[in-house]
Amino acid sequence: MDATTLGAWVATGLTLFIFSFLYKDNPLFKLAEHLYVGVSLGYHIVKIFDSVVVNLIYKPIVEQGEIALLIPVAIGFLMLTRYVPKAAWMSRYAFAFIVGVGSGLAIPRTISSFILKQIEDTVRPLVSMAGGDGLTFSMNLLNPASNLNAIIILIGVSSVLFYFFFSIEHSGPGKVVARTGIVFLMIAFGAAFGYTVMARMSLLIGRLTDLIEFSDASYGRPTLWLAIATIGALFLLGRRSSSSPPQSE
Amino acid sequence: MTLSERMLKIDRRIIFLVIGLCTLLPLLYPVGLPIKISPEVRSIYDYIESLPERSVFLLSIDFDPASKPELHPQAIALLRHAFRKNLRVVAMTLWVSGTGMADQLLTQVAKEMGKEDGKDYVFLGWSSGGTAVIINMGQDLYKAFPSDYGGKATKGIPVLEGVLSLKDVAYAISLGAGNPGVEAWYVFGKDKYKFELGGGCTGVIAPGLYPLLRSGQINGLIGGLRGAAEYESLVGHKGRAVAGMDAQSATHFAIIVLVAMCNLFYFSLRQQQGRSRELPVKRGH
Repeated sequence: MDATTLGAWVATGLTLFIFSFLYKDNPLFKLAEHLYVGVSLGYHIVKIFDSVVVNLIYKPIVEQGEIALLIPVAIGFLMLTRYVPKAAWMSRYAFAFIVGVGSGLAIPRTISSFILKQIEDTVRPLVSMAGGDGLTFSMNLLNPASNLNAIIILIGVSSVLFYFFFSIEHSGPGKVVARTGIVFLMIAFGAAFGYTVMARMSLLIGRLTDLIEFSDASYGRPTLWLAIATIGALFLLGRRSSSSPPQSE
Repeated sequence: MTLSERMLKIDRRIIFLVIGLCTLLPLLYPVGLPIKISPEVRSIYDYIESLPERSVFLLSIDFDPASKPELHPQAIALLRHAFRKNLRVVAMTLWVSGTGMADQLLTQVAKEMGKEDGKDYVFLGWSSGGTAVIINMGQDLYKAFPSDYGGKATKGIPVLEGVLSLKDVAYAISLGAGNPGVEAWYVFGKDKYKFELGGGCTGVIAPGLYPLLRSGQINGLIGGLRGAAEYESLVGHKGRAVAGMDAQSATHFAIIVLVAMCNLFYFSLRQQQGRSRELPVKRGH
């Protein structure tokens, strides 16, 4: 049995074990679940050790003599002092460094990219209405760049922002605006849910495509044999649990 | 028990079975429903088409096997297109759990297209730091990745000739399943180092990326399996995504029917309960 065939049997078995949860919770599902957690954790450890410890720390320091790298290594080691109660205070310097650098990098870039740029994009289409040829207005709903859509987006942004503005009571005209905001939010949640359904179905399609592929004779038909084995195991487990006496509390 | 009550208390395993069959049958017996190309997918295709030969194309494979069904076909279609255009492909990942898969898919497509490692493409692998890697690459690509995935020093690799940082990249695409992904590439990459950026993502995060598309922060977006199918159609090499489209349509139809039926039975039950509550009141009068 070559590596590809072995991989097909393992992938098929684990897929069927995970799918068995749709019938009910069972030891086969738990086995696959625990294997997933263990294997992914092991993979992470090995990859990070190889990429960071060996390639970014050991080799540059030992082979290329980049002594300056000892400074971030020392800061990294300070993290480990969390495990020694008397020296745990030293880890705060490492955390302070990470929080400081992280915030310094993220805050200006995030404000620029998400807040300023998005505000600009909300207002710019309205400004473009007043072009060199006077005031123009395009009504095409199917064109995302049309002026009508720009106004709908502006109403959406303003009303949703108002809905989350709690300093004044949402009554009278304010209630209308807040209700409009709720309508926009519901449409957004609906779109997001639709996409989520599509994504989950895509995952199912991916697994079923593999199961169909692995039902081929060139792999030894693992889908067929392992489906029979999984159903048989579920049947036996079901019989065993129904015949065992209820446990006293 | 009325029909509505019985239907609303139906065993959920029956619904699983219906969805399973709606997915499985079109995969076994495809119909070949037409696929309409959306402007956001076409703009990525057109941009790659407009690039001159040997331009540097950066593909950041920011996902792991958990998102493989949606993003793997996107990566394959994009790589086929880039190799066909004879671009210099620089691939990498910001997700440590996706390194092995990314290497496998790049090697597979390169072999299929007759491309040579180091000359036509390079896989830089993964480097620690998350979004900081993008900033690091913007300053000095060789400091962010001193060696490629195979352990070879990146300085001197022919495919990286003339490439010092992200500023030398003609076009970058991030195929992201979360963070770090497309947003991080915009915030810490394009916005700072001014290169053109496109995005590919899972269906779950696609709605969140549309504002970036509208504002021109990314020039195109391939969303989920549907986007992958569109790109496969554009490239003219139909693969797994196109094959899955019939199943996707069938399951969506089944879900719409189930949601409609559920609402119908719910309102019917509520009406029945309202009537039964009214009856004793009327008798009392």
